[in-house]
Amino acid sequence: MNQSAEHLGMPSTKRLESYRIWDSYFTPAHSHPGKDGVGRLYDDIERSLPAVRRAKFEKLCYFAHVGLGTTTDADFEAVARSRPEIVLRPLEKWPELLLGMIQLNPHDVAGSLDALNRWLRDGPMLGVYFSGGGPHSMTCTHPNFNRLVERIADLNGVIMQHTWYKTGGKQGPGESTPAELAELAARFPEQKFLCAHAGGEWERGIRAVQQSPNILVETSGFDPTAGFIEMAVRELGAERIVFGSHLPSRSLGTELGKIVGAEITETDRRLILGKNYRSLVMPILRSKGL
Amino acid sequence: MALNRRDLLGTAAAIPFLASKFAHLRDDAERLPIVDTNVSLFQWPFRRLPLDNTHALAEKLTKLGIAQAWAASFEALLHRDIAGVNQRLVDECKKYSQLVPIGCVNPALPSWEEDVRRCFNMYRMPGVRLHPNYHGYALDDDRVASLLKIATESRRFIQISVAMEDTRTQHNLVRVKDVDLTPLPNLLKRVPGAIVQVLNYRPRQPLFEDLAQNEGLFFDTARVEGTDGIANLLHSIPDRVMLGSHAPFFVPEAALIRVAESELTEEHFRRLLWKTAQQIGMRRPA
Repeated sequence: MNQSAEHLGMPSTKRLESYRIWDSYFTPAHSHPGKDGVGRLYDDIERSLPAVRRAKFEKLCYFAHVGLGTTTDADFEAVARSRPEIVLRPLEKWPELLLGMIQLNPHDVAGSLDALNRWLRDGPMLGVYFSGGGPHSMTCTHPNFNRLVERIADLNGVIMQHTWYKTGGKQGPGESTPAELAELAARFPEQKFLCAHAGGEWERGIRAVQQSPNILVETSGFDPTAGFIEMAVRELGAERIVFGSHLPSRSLGTELGKIVGAEITETDRRLILGKNYRSLVMPILRSKGL
Repeated sequence: MALNRRDLLGTAAAIPFLASKFAHLRDDAERLPIVDTNVSLFQWPFRRLPLDNTHALAEKLTKLGIAQAWAASFEALLHRDIAGVNQRLVDECKKYSQLVPIGCVNPALPSWEEDVRRCFNMYRMPGVRLHPNYHGYALDDDRVASLLKIATESRRFIQISVAMEDTRTQHNLVRVKDVDLTPLPNLLKRVPGAIVQVLNYRPRQPLFEDLAQNEGLFFDTARVEGTDGIANLLHSIPDRVMLGSHAPFFVPEAALIRVAESELTEEHFRRLLWKTAQQIGMRRPA
């Protein structure tokens, strides 16, 4: 290849390293890690590594299935419950690169509370992910979220809530919108929430969370539409924006391109690409002595 | 038909113009010239974009090493005076050496043939862009076959924009489905030798497998997703993929970084970034 990556829209290696990129939304085998609990997960992580290395990511956070019924595969769920050590294998295989959160099931509050103790209090996980689809998804204004959020807050955990505003309305009963997340966030003003995908239709999404200072927007999961980051910086401030890659199902081009192609300051870029997320996970990392 | 096919076929005069636009595209050992086959000028109807000023867009493209961009007009989506749209596009492109105007034709409008004549003979465009979903016709419409036949006889290409925006984020009052490409293989069979480039398409099986069988069908990369999406596409049809950014609706860096992250051979890079586009853009009349 004659063309250097720098000539293809990429910042220089030195600049990429200076961004200290921490990816808040890494989605290898996002809906199912494979029958054995790791096969598809490993494949997707390996598939992502060329892009991860090229962009000099420091850390990537993925969302583990821990046997709470967050997949539709009863066999896998049984494996995850009977052999919970498999959940840790990716973190053991890539200890310098990966961070983990767990996928919770708000339909199963008791099981989710147990999982919080096992994986956040006593284990290495840093927070939770609430999905927008599948049998375990639930709109985040539901009262079941209250006990879970209280416990997550006790543990200094991070909360990533999937959100979308879809033209024509919700496509599933468990979806959440940014406005619904704002409603939940108002009940817990001391807890930070990540609004995954900024609602997808970000012009409405940004407005919906604008008055909720404890909500930060995550940047992945939709086309690299121009003007998104500029509007988010203008209306929320760069301190409330967190980078996500959505690798490998999305591309580095789409997700990193949104940030490096935006007309914002380099200081803002550093906040979005890593600093904000580090601030968010620091309390729970400290509580684990990391 | 009001169209004078002899006029359309008399494209020899167009060639010096095309040749001059492509003359500076040479395979350079140090840095490949890049052709972006999917750019639009003027204002997106639903919001302002950071690069919807042509001067700013041209500067950004130059900064990113894009030596040539095939530019259509956002105005073509909703305006019915397509002739006026194309005139403004040509006038704007004249100000910027790297912009090649790609006019729009709406075969659902009366006298669409005159728009074709102007695009090919008067403005000497190498191709035209269609928006079947915004203009309300399907690809099995006989007028599309007629248009493709004229373009093919003139040795020009047609671009079909499958989508301009994710259907999930469109304005509630202007909801536009993606173009159904299912009739495309039959359409291409009806017009041997036709060259069609599909823009903003996200390859999905099993349709993609059917489409890929057609030698005259080309694709751009603007909405090809997955970190290995472009590499997979080039592996499948190495001679029929061209870079497209869909700028300024998308940030132009996205398309380029997607190439940078792809594990490609030197030849694949060359074909993707300029060689295929050069071959399509410089075709000579029979």
